[in-house]
Amino acid sequence: MNFDFTEAEHAFAEEVRGFLRANPPESFAIDGMDAGYGSGANSRAFMKALASQGWISMCWPQAFGGREQPMFMKLVLMEELALAGAPFGPLAGVWQTADAIIEYGTERLRREILPAVARGEAAFWQGYSEPDAGSDLLALKTEARRDGDHYVIRGHKIWSSHAGIATHGLVFARTSREARRSRGFSMFVVANGTPGMDIRPIRSMTGEVYHHEVFLDEVRVPADLMLGAPGEGFQALLNGLDADRFWGRFYKSPALARVLRQLVEYANTTTVRGAPLSRDPSIRRRLAAMASEIAALRLLFYRAGCLIRDGAPLSYETAMAKVYADESGQKLARLGMDLLGVWGPLREGSRWAKLGGHISHLYQTTLGHTIAGGTAEVLRTTVAVRGLGLAAEPRAGAEAKAR
Amino acid sequence: MDFRPSPSQQILTTTARAFLRQHCPPEMVQRLALDERGFDEPLWRRMAELGWPGLLIPSDLGGSDGSLLDVILLVEEMGRVGLPGPFVASAVVATSLVLAAGSPAQKKRLLPELAAGARIASLALVEETGSFDPEAVALECALPGRLSGRKLFVKDAHVADDLMVAVRIGGALSLLAIPADRAGITRLPLDPISGEKLFEVTFDRVELRPDDLFGAVGDGVALLTSALLAGSLARTAEMVGAAQRVLELAVEHAKTRVQGGRPIGGYQAIQHACADLVRDVDATRGLLYAAAWKAAEGRPADADAALAKAYAGEACLAVARRGHQIFGAISYCEEHPLHLLHKRIQAASVDFGDAPLHLETVARAIGLA
Repeated sequence: MNFDFTEAEHAFAEEVRGFLRANPPESFAIDGMDAGYGSGANSRAFMKALASQGWISMCWPQAFGGREQPMFMKLVLMEELALAGAPFGPLAGVWQTADAIIEYGTERLRREILPAVARGEAAFWQGYSEPDAGSDLLALKTEARRDGDHYVIRGHKIWSSHAGIATHGLVFARTSREARRSRGFSMFVVANGTPGMDIRPIRSMTGEVYHHEVFLDEVRVPADLMLGAPGEGFQALLNGLDADRFWGRFYKSPALARVLRQLVEYANTTTVRGAPLSRDPSIRRRLAAMASEIAALRLLFYRAGCLIRDGAPLSYETAMAKVYADESGQKLARLGMDLLGVWGPLREGSRWAKLGGHISHLYQTTLGHTIAGGTAEVLRTTVAVRGLGLAAEPRAGAEAKAR
Repeated sequence: MDFRPSPSQQILTTTARAFLRQHCPPEMVQRLALDERGFDEPLWRRMAELGWPGLLIPSDLGGSDGSLLDVILLVEEMGRVGLPGPFVASAVVATSLVLAAGSPAQKKRLLPELAAGARIASLALVEETGSFDPEAVALECALPGRLSGRKLFVKDAHVADDLMVAVRIGGALSLLAIPADRAGITRLPLDPISGEKLFEVTFDRVELRPDDLFGAVGDGVALLTSALLAGSLARTAEMVGAAQRVLELAVEHAKTRVQGGRPIGGYQAIQHACADLVRDVDATRGLLYAAAWKAAEGRPADADAALAKAYAGEACLAVARRGHQIFGAISYCEEHPLHLLHKRIQAASVDFGDAPLHLETVARAIGLA
């Protein structure tokens, strides 16, 4: 066992800290709301700054312009960025899409997409969910029909994060009818602005725009912009979602550690009924218990990270870690609101807001986390079925048939 | 980072798991819990033959040069079966004390016998305040002189040859090792639901000799620190092992117990409960290993161990309690293994400091004023 970084990892962490000192996160222009996951707001300028360090493509093969750095360097980078509250919003999603393209993308995707990713100019929205296909994703209705060397996509996607400011959509659509329910789906990389694509913002409960719905009306996509083999999209998607749970939540524990640090500072400097808030025994215990939870969460993610690094099989680890990350985040946001009392609900920008009004924002955004990317319920079922070998509950139709 | 035990640690845990499955079955744990003495000498001797009591002890004193992390992995296996007996009290806590506080002569006298399992020692720390904080010790004596007063929650005092007693000499916290059969010492059993053997030890004008002293007068806090850390980590390891076993039993039950035409594990209500068991066990184990690794590396680990212990108390107890709900009525029976695993977890959660004590350590570590 070893719970420390290697010398190279320590050195890289120091390099990232140095970069952040020279380029304070708050100095970058923000393009899209911070959804509270821990990767901060969406900032094209910050992504370009990361790209200028060569950090976006650092783990890619040299043939694609990378430096073949070990995968753990990405974890080191994300942890430092999250601890500093940097606006690296789309980074994890960009990495995953690039990895998929490197692994099984067409020549055209590699040629057109990877350089833009490496320059920090590409970002992707996920076109998975539909109005009637949420947790039951395979109920989706979007179809892509072959027409010569193109596919023509028709459908309606929803809950696509930052689709309005991204460059491409990853659109999941049915391409054929097959006996097995999970076959016949394919993934397309569709550039924003392609004729027939209509991206409409959905204002969220925070008052800002994060999600979008996307109407696809006879959108023509060249066939070589399909990502993966035709009809095999679902397995690729599942693998992708599994990775998403890891990469899309890895930075949560350092981000929560950062918020906890702010709450500790607040408790130390705030007097309530004549005594420092930090001396309230119940507050001390709740903050300390939260610190324990964040430490446990960090180790769950690093353990999964080691399994991924070592090529060991994963079954339930990322699903479990994601649920825990999201529930811990909700708990911390709740604790923050309790601590701030009447000041808690004040928005960022309010004259009397404490801690920049960020806690009220976190309190709202974290509500969505146990729903997005697999609900806590679906993922607990995944842990039980894939991890523990318990029998899956029969689908409603199958149960009726059996009767 | 690497979460995998070393090859030698894997051999240790594999051997321990097989040995304990064979020699410490649930029926035996149950029998010893109900038995007043509750100490199985043949089992203790077999464990000694495997070298377990000497794991922390240097090889030139009869031990096998193991690390605290090795011991923690072994104790986790013991926790899985709910092994009764004085291993943690003697081979982890008291042995750590002797290693930290003993003079060369004291070490030479005690450690080879402790390593061989031929001698058992136990720490007498807690008094009527119920606190594991060394600062709470009030028992006063002079040296040489006489000791009168009492200690509570002394583990396995009935089989101990030596009692390591925390006292104040002229107000300064100090440590004594007193033979348990010295005149004036009485051991009265407490009666916990866990079946663990805990005692009130009373001292009635017990003679104290200069060579009873371990370390210097006033060194008590420093000397106790590493032993309390080891005890705290060992109890956390027991909780992790026991919770792991609860998880395995519950999942096995969920797969085989059929209600409404299918195994109850086919219902999401049970699936989700089982998923939470996995999370609680995995999360606690991560904290335990990280803290034990740090301590074994000689890095500061007080806050890590405190955090792991506080977390374990909450998470592993939740596992045990949820386990009962998954099992239903059968786990309410005395002959079912669940209740003893549960009670051991509960006992461990308050031993060597309960959650409030450890959370206070964490609170200071995260910078709360």
